[in-house]
Amino acid sequence: MKAEEICDLILKTCRSEGASDAAVSVSEVEETMIRFSNNEITVSNALREASAFIYVADREKKAGVGVADLSKKSLLSSAKRAVLSARRAPPGDVYAPLPKGPFRYDETAMDHPRIELTPKDSVRLVQAAIEAGLREGAERVAGSMIVRNGRYVLRTSGDVVASARSSSIEMSVRAFLSSVASGHSTAIASSEKDFNPSEAGAEAGRLAKAAANPADGEPGEYQAILGPLVFADLASQVGKSASAFNVDAGLSFLGGKIGQRVASEKISIADDATMKGSYGAFPFDAEGLPSKKTDIVQDGILKSYLHNSSTAKKFGTESTANAGLMAPRPFNLVVGEGDKSLEDMIRSVDKGIYVTNDWYLRYQNYATGDFSTIPRDAMFMIRNGQIEKPVRELRISDNMLRILENVSSLTKNRVWVKWWEVEVPTLSPAALVEKLRFTKSSM
Amino acid sequence: MEDYLEMIIDLASKNGATYSEARYQSDTGESILLKNGTPEMTSFDVRRGISMRALVDGGLGFGATNLLTRRDLKALVVRVIRMAKASSRMMKNPISMGQAELGKGIVEVKPRIGFDAVSMEARLDLLREADLAGVNTAEAIGVKLPGRYLSLDALVTQKIVMTSDGASVRSVIPKVSVDAFLTAFEPQRGAAQRMLSLGESSGWESVERWNLPERIEKESRKLAEILTKASPMKDERCDVILGPEVVGIISHESSGHPGEADRILGREAAQAGETYLQKDSIGMKVGSDVVSVVEDPTIPHSFGFYLFDDEGVKARRRYLIRQGKISEFLHNRETAHVFGLPSNASSRSVAFNREPIVRMANTFVEQGDHSFEELLEDVESGIYVKNFMEWNIDDRRYNQKYVGLEAYRVEKGRLKGLLRNPVMEMTTTGLWSSVDAVGKDLEFNAASCGKGDPMQGIPVWTGGPHIRLRNVRVGGVS
Repeated sequence: MKAEEICDLILKTCRSEGASDAAVSVSEVEETMIRFSNNEITVSNALREASAFIYVADREKKAGVGVADLSKKSLLSSAKRAVLSARRAPPGDVYAPLPKGPFRYDETAMDHPRIELTPKDSVRLVQAAIEAGLREGAERVAGSMIVRNGRYVLRTSGDVVASARSSSIEMSVRAFLSSVASGHSTAIASSEKDFNPSEAGAEAGRLAKAAANPADGEPGEYQAILGPLVFADLASQVGKSASAFNVDAGLSFLGGKIGQRVASEKISIADDATMKGSYGAFPFDAEGLPSKKTDIVQDGILKSYLHNSSTAKKFGTESTANAGLMAPRPFNLVVGEGDKSLEDMIRSVDKGIYVTNDWYLRYQNYATGDFSTIPRDAMFMIRNGQIEKPVRELRISDNMLRILENVSSLTKNRVWVKWWEVEVPTLSPAALVEKLRFTKSSM
Repeated sequence: MEDYLEMIIDLASKNGATYSEARYQSDTGESILLKNGTPEMTSFDVRRGISMRALVDGGLGFGATNLLTRRDLKALVVRVIRMAKASSRMMKNPISMGQAELGKGIVEVKPRIGFDAVSMEARLDLLREADLAGVNTAEAIGVKLPGRYLSLDALVTQKIVMTSDGASVRSVIPKVSVDAFLTAFEPQRGAAQRMLSLGESSGWESVERWNLPERIEKESRKLAEILTKASPMKDERCDVILGPEVVGIISHESSGHPGEADRILGREAAQAGETYLQKDSIGMKVGSDVVSVVEDPTIPHSFGFYLFDDEGVKARRRYLIRQGKISEFLHNRETAHVFGLPSNASSRSVAFNREPIVRMANTFVEQGDHSFEELLEDVESGIYVKNFMEWNIDDRRYNQKYVGLEAYRVEKGRLKGLLRNPVMEMTTTGLWSSVDAVGKDLEFNAASCGKGDPMQGIPVWTGGPHIRLRNVRVGGVS
């Protein structure tokens, strides 16, 4: 059966079984992935999958069923199970009907051209990144490249009829000069023409070379430049913390702060799935609402959480078209640009630290934003406006709101970031933070 | 289903594969979530499909699909072989699969109380009872619990693994888990938070044994006390007793991950990172003589339980650290071949569409001979850290930070008042070398270990007895 036929069959069954609201989606995904390390390919992966998700509400009572077997028998029994489960479920706290369509969607965003790469083409792109890293002085290069073509079809009891194709290509590349001198870069795009693995490999190689023979850093409070990979990690924390689900569950440092200042006036962060040609752009959300741009933080003020229909009703507002299968989520985060170049930013620092990458961001307290994260890859001491030496063995131990408040400038140049640590695609500048706490191991 | 897997292996061999493996995996999950006392969506999920790996001219290909027709599966084999061949062209060091004790047979964990015997309504009632117990007990001491998140997941995983060199294993393993996240709030003191995970490979009987209402009540009371009574501490050097929950995360992060052979070989360099250990680190002294760290997938009902890994290799208990020295690394067949060893069955995959990679199962410090009272009585001045909230470790697994949640001052061998957020930031060898005594108790916590690309969160146990560290620096602010 075609995806549209599957949706129609399930929707009809859910209605005849008495569901007040139902949404059915089918996603078809083809993915290839090449993982590489030590300048060689470790493994090549190929994935082909089609699956359905059924959401059913009996007023405040909700159930969801994921279906992997798309035979007619399995679909019918899954639809009946979803309706029965919703009917038996205890009621939730609000009932918000699914948005009433039909809606008009941005047609240019609905039929993205496929990325067609043969296995040899994929190997060639990986080779280009590895060779670029080695040319810049690295001794070994590792990473992964993922090419994804997908189709998503949605039908709801609110007369939503929607489908979209999406494609993406991404590479995460890390170059090493030694086990303690490395650089990381990413390349992500929604089409092959915008994808530049050589530049990503070269940047990782340059950083690895510049990080040769690092000294142990000294703990303390410093001016700090957070490169786009690091600031994207912080911005994506803002995006996740803006989900009304996380606010409600105590998993957010933005709870109760709408209309309040939560960051320096230099900072604006929006979720924008309408941004044409970008990796995370998509024409509609999981409830079928047309995508829109939502300002989360504007000039330092918290303007909005991210909502689906249910959380919007609970919070007394409108959906921001951020419905995921279970909870609202950011799709495509955009940090507003600044006016500095990275070079000017470095020149403005008397004594500080430039962090190019981080990972393992963990909270001590989600509600207050106390957390730490570990600088990884190249990190440099800055003295008198110049890079003095590479350093390592430090940890950023601070508070999310304090850091955002202490941002004094952003670069004009922004970079799309998505990798292992930063799951939501995020367009991010580098940021200068006036005071940032670094700690280190004592023994 | 075995017919399909045999067809895949035959076809791969005919197309030049020197090794191939096929796996059918289905994961049937049921999940409920209570947020602030209100049910969120009840959900059911069935994921099932077939994956395969093939080694062609030293290049390795992996592929998966949930379209289970002969035509789609044949197309899968063709794609995987093409990709393996394409990647083999740039291999200077061809991949090989080493020798291993391959399995044949069936592994089935039979629940005493099947999930079908407990309705979703009854499961939600249990979570509600636990939630209410927590709220009431905190309120009785003047603290609100404004953010509460309780989830209960049941999962049944069926696998069939076959390899071209003779492994053939079928397994059925149920798992059940509970995750709790509590936020306590008091206007004068702000907020404190607690995360807790329980999980076992068994049926509903585990949930009954966990006694969730009592457990959540205790956790809520203690969180409220921490918020209202814990005193800040200054930086100091002192003795520290760590509870099993903290010892578990340390065993996992500072012994398990550094001992994964794929990290040692750089295969995870761009994602989960590398390790401070080298290929020749076996025998290296990293801790005191009383420290032994065990990795054991075969513990009955453990969250990381398996008897054969996803390459069909027979599982066994492994010593990662023995009497303070690095003893063994975790291997799959690929890494074991590089080291000239047989695989020790560490290859796992979280779903049909993910490649099997080197993973931990149940990692813990081996028990010693001290009672908790004996650990305590020799401490003149120190702290006891029972559990934790924040933690992280660098990608070489050498610099770590653990921030205690429930922690007490110890004076002259006695527990005194609660301390707020003691911070331990130390190196792996510094930490293991500071241990002077190990308790004879043993407890485990469930966790989802993240590794791989795409990310694979895999069920594990982390655990251990209480341990005592001498003369370590503890920070008073995080």
